[in-house]
Parts: sequence; C-alpha cells; structure tokens
Amino acid sequence: MIKKLNARNIDAKECFYGHKACGGCGESLALRLALKVLGEEAYLSLPAGCMAAVSFIYPNMAFKNNAVITPFASTAAVATGIAAGLEALGKEAPLSVGFAGDGGTADIGIQSLSGAIDRGEKFIYICTDNEAYMNTGIQKSGLTPFGAATTTTPAGKAIHGCVTEKKNMFEIAAAHGISYAATASIGYPEDFLNKVQKAKECDGPAYIHIYTPCPTGWGHGSEITVDLAKEVVDTGLWFLAEYENGEFRLNKKPENFKPVADHLKRQARFRHLSEIEITQIEEMRDRKWEKMLKNWG
Amino acid sequence: MSKSVLMKGNEVLAEAAIRAGCTHYFGYPITPQNEIPAYMSKEMPKRGGCFLQAESEIAAINMVFGASGAGARVMTSSSSPGLSLKQEGISYLAGAELPCVVVNMMRGGPGLGGIAGSQADYFQATRGGGNGDYRTIVLAPGNVQEIADLTVQAFDLADKYRMVVMILGDGYLGQMSEPVILPEPDVKPVPKPWAVSGAKGREPNKVMSLRLTPDDYLEKHNIHLQELYKKVEGEVTQSEAYMTDDADYLIVSYGTSSRIARKAVKMLRNEGVKVGLFRPVTLWPFPMKELHDLSKKVKKVLTVEMSAGQMLEDVNIAVNGVTEVDFLGKLGGALPEANEIVKIVKSYG
Repeated sequence: MIKKLNARNIDAKECFYGHKACGGCGESLALRLALKVLGEEAYLSLPAGCMAAVSFIYPNMAFKNNAVITPFASTAAVATGIAAGLEALGKEAPLSVGFAGDGGTADIGIQSLSGAIDRGEKFIYICTDNEAYMNTGIQKSGLTPFGAATTTTPAGKAIHGCVTEKKNMFEIAAAHGISYAATASIGYPEDFLNKVQKAKECDGPAYIHIYTPCPTGWGHGSEITVDLAKEVVDTGLWFLAEYENGEFRLNKKPENFKPVADHLKRQARFRHLSEIEITQIEEMRDRKWEKMLKNWG
Repeated sequence: MSKSVLMKGNEVLAEAAIRAGCTHYFGYPITPQNEIPAYMSKEMPKRGGCFLQAESEIAAINMVFGASGAGARVMTSSSSPGLSLKQEGISYLAGAELPCVVVNMMRGGPGLGGIAGSQADYFQATRGGGNGDYRTIVLAPGNVQEIADLTVQAFDLADKYRMVVMILGDGYLGQMSEPVILPEPDVKPVPKPWAVSGAKGREPNKVMSLRLTPDDYLEKHNIHLQELYKKVEGEVTQSEAYMTDDADYLIVSYGTSSRIARKAVKMLRNEGVKVGLFRPVTLWPFPMKELHDLSKKVKKVLTVEMSAGQMLEDVNIAVNGVTEVDFLGKLGGALPEANEIVKIVKSYG
C-alpha cells in the first residue's frame, strides 16, 4: 500500500527553484510539486516553452535533476530515447519524465506522445495546461477553451475569441489503453501529488494532465492563481479523474457547481463574453458532466 | 502618394501581403515572428481572407501546399527551427511547381538556439533546404520599407515562375519599427490553368511531386526545373551598390548586418577612406556578375554577415580570385559593430 501524500509528509527537498517564471505562475508550481514526488533521480525532457525558457538560463540552472530541452514535436520521443539509453547503460528502473505544455502536447507533440504510449514505454508524461502558447506570446492551442481571447483568436465584434472547445487529451491518452492517466489541478495539490505517486509506481506509460493558470496569459492577479485552479474544478469547467485498469473514475463530483460567470470574469481573456456565451459554456459543461457521470460514474 | 506610417517589420510584412492579394495564411507560433500570425488573425477575417493557425509548422506548410494547389495566393511564416520543419513541404512545393511565399525571420541556432536575430540560415534558404535538386527565390530586405516592397514582389515572382519565394529577414528586422509607405493594393491575378480548381468540363489536373513512370519522367522534370532556374537567374537578380564608384575597398553584406556596414562606410568616408557597400537583395539568384565586376576594381572585399561564413561562399564564387576576400562573422545572434568594421577596413591601408 502506497502511503498517501499530503502537506505534512511531503519531501521538503526542492528540485525546482531559482527559476525565472512570472509571479503566480501555475505551471512552475506543478513542476515543483511533481518533482517532490519524483525526486532528483528523475530524468526530465522538456520541449521549447516557458518551463524550458525560465529554468535553463546558464549558469542558473533551476532543475536539480538531469534535464534535456527537446525539439518541440518530440518530448515523448526524447523521453523514450533517454529511458532506452539509461537501460543500455545498466541503470535499473530509470525514471524518464516528460513535461510539456498544452501546445507541445495536444498540437505538435501528439504524434510522439501517441507513439510512446502505444509502445508501452515505461515513462511519465505530465502536460501542464495553461490553455495557450504562453512562451511565444499567448497564441491559441488545441487546449484553448471556447471563448478565450488570445493573440491569434482576438475578441472582436464578429468573433468572440476562440471558437473551438478544448481537445480531450485525457481521454485521448486513455483511449490508447494506457497503464495510468489522470487529470489534476494545482488548486488540488494533494490530489495531484498522489496521482504523480501512482504514475511513478505504475508499470507502463502514465499521463497526467494538470490545469495550471497563467496570470500573464489569462490576465488575472498573480495572487489568485491557486484560487482559480480550485474554482475551475468547483465550477465544473475542469474535472479530477483517473483512468486505471481500463476504467475511468471521477475523483470529485461537486453537488452544485459554483457560478461560471464569476469565475470567468476574473480573467481578462473572458471579459468580452456575453451572457449568451456564458450560458453556452455552462451548457457545454453540463453535456460533458452528463456524459462523464453516465459513463464513469 | 500614401502617407508614411510607423510600423513594426512583422506587421508591415503581413499588411503588405494582404495588399498584394494574399488570401490564405497558415501560421504557427514561434518567436520572433509572432506579430505576423497575430496581425493576420485580426485582419484576414475582416478582409475576406483566411487565417488558420496550424497544429505544427509541418501542418502549416502542407496547408500552403493544398491552398497553392487549389490556386490561392498563399503565405506562411516562421523562424529558423520552424523553417527546418517546413523544409520537406517546401521540397514538395518545388517538386510540384506550386507558387507560395514563405517567410523566415531568422534567429540564432543550431537547434532551439536563441530568439535574437541571426543570418545563419543562408545555406538552408539558398541551397534548397529540403531534398532534391531545387531552388527557391530568396529575397533579403534591409529595412522595413523594403519588407513591404519585397513582400509584394514575392507574390508576383512566385506566381510568375511557379516557385516558392522566401523572404529571408531576421528577428531584428521583424521587431524593428520604422516609417514605411505601404503599397497600394494592386493584385495582378495570374491565370492558373494547372490548379486543382474543379475538373468540370475539362481534363482533371494532377498536383504532385511523385514521378515514377515512364523511366525518364523524373529526369525530364528535373531538366525542366533547372532550365526554369537558369531563366530566373537571368531575370530576377537584384542588388544595391552604395558609394562603390571610386571605392578601393568593398564591403559585402545583406539584411540587418548591411545596415551596420552602411554606417561603417559613412564613418570611413568621413575619414577619407574610399570604401563602398555591395548589398545583395536576392540571395538566390545571387548577383554574381554584379559583384564580380565590382570586385575587379577594388583592392579587397570584406564580407560581413551574422553567421560563420555562409554568404561568404557565394562571395568567393563571385569574386573568383580576382581580389582578396576577408570575412567578419558574428555568431548566435550577436551583431557586428560599425567601429569593428571601421578598424578592419583601416587595417587594409
């Protein structure tokens, strides 16, 4: 039986510190928490993105771990190569971990991720989802939600931000018959820590998709990052779930959802939305939950 | 005449493209060219065009392949590592003789490199870049006004020769704001009877770069391409000669580095040193004859570029031993300094 992790028994050692991320960065918090579980023995692969840009600034290398910056499309491929290389060197049970953002995962990186899961590679892939390409200046990705304004889905009179919904990366990963997949949010850190622990222990590929607000890209105060990440789960716009042994499971089923409008209006990227669109977002949420409760309940 | 406006290089490029009749733009985020997709995402829907953010550079260039095959005026833009990903698609476009405009706002490499401007993709741009025997026309603007002018030219050249035309700028030019007179919208539609525009009432068109049969089909196609490139070499070469009439020394430089070289020429002229600047505007075809003729009249040629000596190879081919060729290269996004150039040229005397 694996010991449940919480704020009291979590490792005090830091493996990710001294980085140059913005104040209130959600993504860097996800990395910091994950590495407390994975430890300094994990070998990290990160593609181009904020986390690479803020942590590999010579001589202030922010990772205590061995880490590699990969070509954009290839986080999971490089992580595969690292695992194979370490095995060839006689390393027992090497822990190869990929960290990539939403664009690096759902858009350009999905091919190599799919390949690695399909091969049954023993590796962990953590998608830190801040819902747009933030490092290059807030461009829409496949994980940008409906209605969000980005620099390539500007909110104008005719088109009110992003017209597509988020790609279901968690379910796409699960559809491979993956050993372990989960969703998480930095608003629920204990849940995340224990999911990382499960990913570490599982025998095969593991995928964790974590929701990480971005004050710079979303236009919110840096002090409410964690609040938003909690609220998004409480409003039902994001969900905490797992896929294990071929079964889906919801970890949290809010009895009543918190109001969506208040949550959205705290973020500049949604401020242009009309009541009609906010209702549309609620309807999309309800449809999603109806399906999840029916199929995974 | 149009009024001069202050605009950023990348945005000027996007606006000039729309005015030149670009109806389709396919992009993907990468610094330092992000203002191009951002501008296109705002303007294209308003002006009846198509902006599409692809899921990768590979997808973007192949959307260009599709749109160009259908007969649209189409563009994509990226920066160095992104251009590397586009090279397969560019080779296919060249193989199928599809016109399009590809923008590379270069940054330092190799690999992910940095985000500061660089000129280290000269080889990749002028030597084909992908597989097979092909060329792309490469235009190298030296200032924001020229970004506007060459963008319009790029679309016309692409359609005229059915070739990929690359605009080779760099991060400094893309991010630089300068006064610019934007071109008047002037679309010169070119008939495209080869396009896959619907085969009703005619034989269907095939767009392809695969040529398996009969035996000599691919060879013949390549001979045809080489003849086309010869014709282009004779027709589209552009360059600028600045203070070269009485020059003892000649600096050869393009794009951002030519701006610094021009300043060095002015500084040296103030001190009585007879020096001039030769600036290739087309990097392929390279202005071989123009440079060769000038080099015969000078004691020494100094090549200045932000790479380890890529254009230097073309300079050496052009000069062909008639005078000595010296080199100043800056690597990884570093810029040459005018004082440095002045010092080197003075050491020749």
